[in-house]
Amino acid sequence: MMSLEECYDALGGNYKAVLGRLSSERIVKKFVLKFLNDQSYVLLEQSMQDKNYEEAFRAAHTIKGVCQNLSFDRLGDSSSRLAEALRSGWTPEADALVDEVKRDYQETADAIRAFQTENGES
Amino acid sequence: MRNRISRFLVSSAALVTILCAAVFSFLAFFMNKRSLETIREIGNIYMSGMSEQISRHFGTTMILRLSQIEALLDSFPPERQGGEELRESLTYNAKARGFEYLAFYSEDGQFEMIYGAPVHVTDPKPFLDSLNRGEKKIAVGTDAQGNNIVLLGVSSTYEMSGGLKCTALVAGLPVEYISTTLSLDVNDSLVYSHIIRKDGSFVIRSADASRDTYFERILETSYTYDGVTPEMTIEKLEAAMEAGESYSGIVQTDEGRRHIYSIPLPYSEWNLLTVMPYGALDQSVNRLGRQWSVMALGGCILIVAVLILVFAKYLKLARQQMIALDEARKEAVQAARAKSEFLSNMSHDIRTPMNAIVGMTAIATANINNQQQVQNCLRKITLSSKHLLGLINDVLDMSKIESGKMTLNVDQISLREVMDSIVNIVQPQIRSKNQQFDVVIHDITAENVYCDSVRLNQVLLNLLSNAIKFTPEKGRILISMYEEPSEISQDHVQIHIRVKDSGIGMTPEFKARIFESFVREDNARVRRTEGSGLGMTITKYIVDTMGGTIDVESEPGKGSEFHIALDLEIADIQEADMLLPDWRMLVVDDDRELCESTVSALKSIGITADWTLSGEAAVRMVDERYQRNDSYHIILLDWKLPGMDGIETARRIRERLGENVPILLISAYDWGEIEEQARGAGVSGFISKPLFKSTLFHGLKKYADMDSVPAEKESERSIDFTGRRILLAEDNELNWEVAEELLKELGLELFWAQNGRICLDMFLDSQEGYYDAILMDLRMPEMNGYEATEAIRALPRADAGLPIIAMTADAFSDDIRKCLECGMDAHVAKPIDIRELSHLLEKYIGQS
Repeated sequence: MMSLEECYDALGGNYKAVLGRLSSERIVKKFVLKFLNDQSYVLLEQSMQDKNYEEAFRAAHTIKGVCQNLSFDRLGDSSSRLAEALRSGWTPEADALVDEVKRDYQETADAIRAFQTENGES
Repeated sequence: MRNRISRFLVSSAALVTILCAAVFSFLAFFMNKRSLETIREIGNIYMSGMSEQISRHFGTTMILRLSQIEALLDSFPPERQGGEELRESLTYNAKARGFEYLAFYSEDGQFEMIYGAPVHVTDPKPFLDSLNRGEKKIAVGTDAQGNNIVLLGVSSTYEMSGGLKCTALVAGLPVEYISTTLSLDVNDSLVYSHIIRKDGSFVIRSADASRDTYFERILETSYTYDGVTPEMTIEKLEAAMEAGESYSGIVQTDEGRRHIYSIPLPYSEWNLLTVMPYGALDQSVNRLGRQWSVMALGGCILIVAVLILVFAKYLKLARQQMIALDEARKEAVQAARAKSEFLSNMSHDIRTPMNAIVGMTAIATANINNQQQVQNCLRKITLSSKHLLGLINDVLDMSKIESGKMTLNVDQISLREVMDSIVNIVQPQIRSKNQQFDVVIHDITAENVYCDSVRLNQVLLNLLSNAIKFTPEKGRILISMYEEPSEISQDHVQIHIRVKDSGIGMTPEFKARIFESFVREDNARVRRTEGSGLGMTITKYIVDTMGGTIDVESEPGKGSEFHIALDLEIADIQEADMLLPDWRMLVVDDDRELCESTVSALKSIGITADWTLSGEAAVRMVDERYQRNDSYHIILLDWKLPGMDGIETARRIRERLGENVPILLISAYDWGEIEEQARGAGVSGFISKPLFKSTLFHGLKKYADMDSVPAEKESERSIDFTGRRILLAEDNELNWEVAEELLKELGLELFWAQNGRICLDMFLDSQEGYYDAILMDLRMPEMNGYEATEAIRALPRADAGLPIIAMTADAFSDDIRKCLECGMDAHVAKPIDIRELSHLLEKYIGQS
């Protein structure tokens, strides 16, 4: 059975840090699972498609904030760089970074889903 | 130019000297001449007076004698007596009157002696003629022995032995009688007189006159004087004697000049010739003249000397002025050259990034579809722009300085915050160059002072970034701060800051010029180094403006050390009494200075601490204490230690002591990188350099409340905010939930506003004072945190000033400044750190 710590390892997060901050595994787990419901990533993809870069910046910024809260370092890092790239509108780096965020997000989401499945409805 | 002036001065000095000499010589000469003339006049007056006197005396003497003879004639008239009887009477009476000779004188010039030796008249003719005419007359003659005799004749008609009548009675006196009576030749007198006849022959000669006639004497013994030859003198004298007038003249002889004065004597064909040698007078006059000349010469020399001195002084002054002028000119030229060099450097420096920007833009435009390339171009453009901006900022600062417009904005600042922020700013650069960085704070008692923090930051940043720039990889950079009592007053402290590096250093020549404008060490090593060359000038100017000093020690290849000393006024704030329990602590750092200053700072907050320099020793010391059952309460460990590093040391200590003792890591670096590893090794917390007293106090305070195990969170949660309401504006649900989860543990009641607009509405709908504080995310849809805050602050409500704390994932100082500008009270970084937040909340809403 996959532990929360293993899940963190898989998604490139810092379990110790988040545990230090949120203090109990129960709370961490609750928020990690909630991450899947967070609509920021959808918003990011949508706004990039619409070329609404202001909105995309906010979405990336929010993902960064959530990741920092949950210590999802890898996704937090790429989304942070994306946010910087979009801070004052579109820049050439943005597209490549969006791809990076997309990849990291998928990995993160996959790891959490795996953890969810294995831990079932417990 | 200089030569011309010296030449002018020298020639004028010479001219004045010559003029002076000439005037004085003329004066001396003129005065000499004048005094000679005066002497001559005096001589003239004296001589004429004296000669007249003598002449008159001669006259009276002769008249007396003649009258005696007349008396004889009266007593013995020729009619009454004759023969032998008469002769006896005459002899008797004449002898009684002192005559030595007495004779009858016949018309044909024959003497018939009455008594005395026979006499003979030297020049009988005029004598005889006068007597024959019935006049009285005087003449000289000689007797048979050759003695000179003066003969005085008075006409009478005595019968001579031959029966003939005589024409006169002649009495004789020795010539000496006249000389004696008239004092013609007095030895102790300068003046002597001769009596001469008109042909120059002597009647009576005085002194050593050996010639037959006076004329001969003049011709033979005197020279031409003042254009007058002896012949001329004789001629004039002769003419004057002939005319019966007096004559005054000067003759020059071997023995000196002589004044001669001739005056006719009465009753004779003679002239009295008085001679006065100038010798003595001449000596006096000459002495006077000499003295005069010496004095004049002395005066002249004195004046010339003074003049020359004045000229020399003036010349020196002029030279100095010239030199000063020359220096000023050189300086001006130098400044102008520095400026033009700077301009050319600058135009090069500005053009380089500008070229890059222009070129890259062109490349990007040409390859607009090649994303990779465009991206690359833009990155380079960004770099160049930043560089350009830095240059322009420097130039603007400099122009502010040059126009004297830079002013200080003095405010209360915390040295700890200044050092913290500067360390934070330079850390990334230091890390990227792999340099060793140390911050040492010695005992700073006054952490809060008055200063312009922006400018102080600028100074420190300048020094540090220079240190970083000129120090190669793996080099060492040290910033240290210490305090000394200020000389200004008790309310001031002197803060010393040293920035030391092991970089390339500076040549002495460059060191001397480092604070000048527009200077950059110009050699191959640093040519590539970017910068305007204004940084140090600006730094120096700021330090000067703050009334401080900056100096530098440097050696090429060894590194540089800048030292700033500032007298700062101590801020008048009451620091909360910083006192911690009487713990025993261990400080482990390889920097002895840091250890000592930390121990001393700890002592001031009530903690006794030991220190050691290595991890190994630390483990041993901890062990010993543990055996004695007297364990350290807290251990401070440097992260970077030689040999066993901080983390390994922590692990070993933790193994021995179990979980009970807090182990804190000290580092100037970001804790994030090593946090996981450190926590894994049993490190309980982290204290960042610089270690000010307050840093230590706040870092250690949290361990104060518990006796043994510091269960941080429990202690934090003991802060109770039960019943307090917080409005939390956050657009992301997950973030909101995390925040809620954390904050409700503190007993807070939370209300969620999904964006700024909703936040504002909820606040509007609430009763006054309902919410205790607002936590505000900045990036939100509809209305962002700044706008919401401004709107709330603008509301006409009593509670419109409630605490608003920003939460943001951006740690840009711009954002923080903007938060404060639009009215927020404080700022916390995301992810939310419950300890930090509860501290802030405690500060703003306090405990109920």
